[in-house]
Amino acid sequence: MSEQVLKVTDLTTCYGSISAIKSISFYALDREIVGIVGPNGAGKTTLLESIAGSVQPLEGIIEFLGHRIEHWSVLKRRQLGLMLIPQEANIFPMMSVKKNLEVSVILSDRDKREELISYAYELFPILYERRKQIASTLSGGQQRMLAVGIGIASNARVMLIDEPSIGLAPKLVTKFFETLKKIRDDTKKTIVLSEQNIKVLNIADRLFGLEAGEIRFDERKENLSRDAVKDLYLGSIS
Amino acid sequence: MKDHYEKISTVGILLLPLLFVLRGGYLQEVTGYVYLFLIQGYVAWFLFFKSGQPFFGYSVTMAIGAYGTIVLNVMFGWPVLGAMFISAAFAPVVGVILYLATIRAKGFYVSMTSFLLAILFPRLINALQDITGGRSGLYFSGITEFVGYKTLYIIVIVWTVVVAIIFLWLMGTKTGKILTLISENDRLTQAVGINTFRYKLLAYTIAGFISGLGGALYVNYTGFISSIDIEVFTTLYIFFIPLIGGSSLFFGPILGALFVILIPELLVPVERYFRIFFGLIFILVIVLLPEGLAPNVQKLFRRIRKNKE
Amino acid sequence: MGGILSLPVLGVAVIYGITGIPNFAIGVIGVFGGFVTWYFLSYSMGLAIAIGVGVCFIIGWIVQRVLLTPISEMGGDATLFFIITIAVGFVFEGMLRAIFPRPNISLELPRIGTISFAGYSVEGFKIIALLFAIGTLIIIRLMEEHTEVGKSWQATSQNLKLAKLIGIKTTQVFSIASGIGCALACIGAIFWGSLYNLQLSSGWDLGFLGFIVAVVGGIGNIWGGLISALIMGMVMSFSGYLLGGEWQSVILYCIVILVLIIAPKGILGSERSL
Repeated sequence: MSEQVLKVTDLTTCYGSISAIKSISFYALDREIVGIVGPNGAGKTTLLESIAGSVQPLEGIIEFLGHRIEHWSVLKRRQLGLMLIPQEANIFPMMSVKKNLEVSVILSDRDKREELISYAYELFPILYERRKQIASTLSGGQQRMLAVGIGIASNARVMLIDEPSIGLAPKLVTKFFETLKKIRDDTKKTIVLSEQNIKVLNIADRLFGLEAGEIRFDERKENLSRDAVKDLYLGSIS
Repeated sequence: MKDHYEKISTVGILLLPLLFVLRGGYLQEVTGYVYLFLIQGYVAWFLFFKSGQPFFGYSVTMAIGAYGTIVLNVMFGWPVLGAMFISAAFAPVVGVILYLATIRAKGFYVSMTSFLLAILFPRLINALQDITGGRSGLYFSGITEFVGYKTLYIIVIVWTVVVAIIFLWLMGTKTGKILTLISENDRLTQAVGINTFRYKLLAYTIAGFISGLGGALYVNYTGFISSIDIEVFTTLYIFFIPLIGGSSLFFGPILGALFVILIPELLVPVERYFRIFFGLIFILVIVLLPEGLAPNVQKLFRRIRKNKE
Repeated sequence: MGGILSLPVLGVAVIYGITGIPNFAIGVIGVFGGFVTWYFLSYSMGLAIAIGVGVCFIIGWIVQRVLLTPISEMGGDATLFFIITIAVGFVFEGMLRAIFPRPNISLELPRIGTISFAGYSVEGFKIIALLFAIGTLIIIRLMEEHTEVGKSWQATSQNLKLAKLIGIKTTQVFSIASGIGCALACIGAIFWGSLYNLQLSSGWDLGFLGFIVAVVGGIGNIWGGLISALIMGMVMSFSGYLLGGEWQSVILYCIVILVLIIAPKGILGSERSL
């Protein structure tokens, strides 16, 4: 059993008077891929943004590598090794692909930077081909790859990815998920991703079901029945 | 019921300065001046805070009313009242044209263009100094030829109260409620099938007319106007009246007008530092009291009352 | 004219381009720096200019850090910044009135004389101001290509949220941008003060002119701002020559209002819009 790198206890986040997530407890182990699944509006994005610090939770504890970080700024959390790749606006649109990656290594050691960028190119060769292109002129799928590339270049210990497969062609989704798995195997990082796509079952070690801001299940993939997932999306009949 | 009480007390307080007529003198003169700005403050309250239209051309609409009256009366020999109303009717044209021109753009373009117009207008007056007198200004006897100065003062006070009542009444009607809706969420209002265009146009027209008439009254009261009186800062002072007073309460503009006009009067001995105070107070009000002073003063009173009991 | 205008325009463009905040106070802050320079001018010219520009940089930094960045974090919109920065302008204009005894100064810098070009003679200072603006622009562009600092500026201006997430100190970037913008405005004010004269209210003219010229060029578009500064400078000179000084600014503002209405993104377009 490896250690818990990220641990969230009783986290509640509100927008105005509406609570988007209600006392969620959640954890991620070292070198694990955790999939947060649930329908639209379940609070997946809010959970990830609360962990990364983009939104301020109302109450609850967030522990990361043994530190209490719930009152830390985004920057401080990032320096400790937490990185969120948002669902939208996740690239620098008017910069070249190369520059996008170059600016993302800003917090890494100088001698490791080249290595990180070439690793991103290795995973997504298309990015190397188009390294001089302005990012906003890439196709939707390529932009998504660049976003993950930015995440890799940032060399965070835990990478939070919000809905990476949204808008991708089904064939691409499978390939994309395989790449994420490869990243985990190569770099020994923890990846937490929120997903609506059921294919996430193929790569995640553990699945965390979220509906209407509350936990539905938290199971290792082996223990999870398909019905539980189906219920989550379709709503239980009873 | 409580709302009703507030309205009556507002009108009551607004009418109080009529007592100054008995004494006359400096106090009366300043109060008249405060009220003339209060009219403009109400216009800003209505257009900016209640209808959500980011218009900054109050000094322009006011100036059109003022200069229009002089030009029509003195140069074309029109009767004063006719000149006042006709020039006031011209004032909304500015707001309406700006609104129509920037209709597809976002709110900030309206504020930007109207503000630039407020910078431009006094310069235009300067450039046309053969007609307008430019910086040295124009003297105007106007209505004081027929009625006494005291009567004019009473007219100013009563008209301010009428303006207040008109706006109060307007915000209570269906039109007012739709305007509030527009200020809160323009797109949603449009989505539920309300013709927002018509209502906004109406808001600009009413605001422009009342501001223009206020300007016409201003030039009658002061008997003088120059390009310096309608500098861009005038528009800012007018805008700050409801801002300081509190945008959500009708009571607010009164407090704001007293503040904006009287504080400078009181600070004359330290005039050099006036702008610093002014700027700092605005920043503090916006940052610390985004609802303005009035609601907070009310809260304070309520707390004091509670402590007594 | 256009040459000198290009400096505050550049200041506005730098601040707006990076922070997304329209700052109307930089003209006043720049003139404040001009007065500071004038105050120290009798000691040494270089020192005086350095102090003036430095003071402006620090003021820009502090205003941004203490006031504008927190407000933008709370989600202020352009109209709010418009009001707030004008209030900031009031404060600094008030400080000018309070600190400096004379309302009207002229900076006595050594003149370079006029330069004749194709039958026109141009004041040397105007050329220098323009070259200075272009030079600054080129330096900024080079920094954006080759240095980490420049890249993080660019990243901040393009996607603030992501810039924060990848670990750029955006608060610091904002403060520096504001400082540079105000320093540029100060240099503009120094040139202005040595060619014409600086009054207490010059700051507003400089700031608003800078802003509207930046609007015409496409706000946030730095090259557009520079070109528009030159065009508007010429427009002002010609309209002044043909119709008289009083009409100069009337024509200028009319053009700007028309540009705002017809082409809200400026004549050259802009990545950002208001």
